[in-house]
Amino acid sequence: MAVDYDPGLIGKVFEITDPVGVSAEDIRKFCAAMGETNPLYTDEAAAKKGPYGTIVAPPSYAVTFRNGRHFFTHVPRYGRAGLDAGKDIEFHAPLRPGDKVTLSSHVKEIYEKTGRSGSMVFVVVRSTVQNQKGEVVAHIDHRFMNRP
Amino acid sequence: MMKFDAVKIGDTLGPQEIYLSKDQVRTYARTCGMDVPRFTDDAAARAEGLPGMIAPGNMSLGMLSRLVTDWIGSSGARLARLGTTYRQPVQPDHTITLNGFVTHVEPAEKRVDIDVWIENEDAERLVIGTASVEFP
Repeated sequence: MAVDYDPGLIGKVFEITDPVGVSAEDIRKFCAAMGETNPLYTDEAAAKKGPYGTIVAPPSYAVTFRNGRHFFTHVPRYGRAGLDAGKDIEFHAPLRPGDKVTLSSHVKEIYEKTGRSGSMVFVVVRSTVQNQKGEVVAHIDHRFMNRP
Repeated sequence: MMKFDAVKIGDTLGPQEIYLSKDQVRTYARTCGMDVPRFTDDAAARAEGLPGMIAPGNMSLGMLSRLVTDWIGSSGARLARLGTTYRQPVQPDHTITLNGFVTHVEPAEKRVDIDVWIENEDAERLVIGTASVEFP
């Protein structure tokens, strides 16, 4: 069975977020919540001597910018609301204190798969995270699983 | 300090055993703006058909990211790619184990590919993933 969707959706940016700031305090709180002990993320003096010359956020901080909104609007739904099935992330520039970050998102792919538990429709949304200089911080592919 | 030339296929990351408490999950959810009932409250999570409150997928991803960046340490290498698949919910009040295994070493690009996963006490792989690390 082919999945029914508008092919014009694929690749079209449907959302660009307002800039979100990243402060040293935000990074400290994230590290505390994650139990990070890596000095590159937690120790200003050690991080100064490291590759970035300052504290940077752990890479997985990049997935936190959809605060409070797990599911994208303007994305096709099939049956029950999409569950987070997984992510694929390419990391580029590090997140530094003082950065202002935007996300632009488009639907990358929609496909159907049949598993042991029946038919599933996957909607892959790609978000590009950029800093205030326009550098790409990360490309994040969110895989949402829908059950028709 | 770890050097690229010393990394071999079959090298392991972890295992790191973690007792994941409900408070840790709630703290992550609140810190990251994911403060929704399924990540903070057992009864509300059950009402959604879940076995009880669960850890956000992003938190599992964060733990696997940390497993890799802990392995990288101060070597100057960087996590270039991480992919995760959430197969079963990660439930707090359980001990989970983070694991990794080097599957490929690419000398031309000084890149190492790693399988990573989170197991429960029954050795079921709740979250599986792959990571790529680039060395300077």
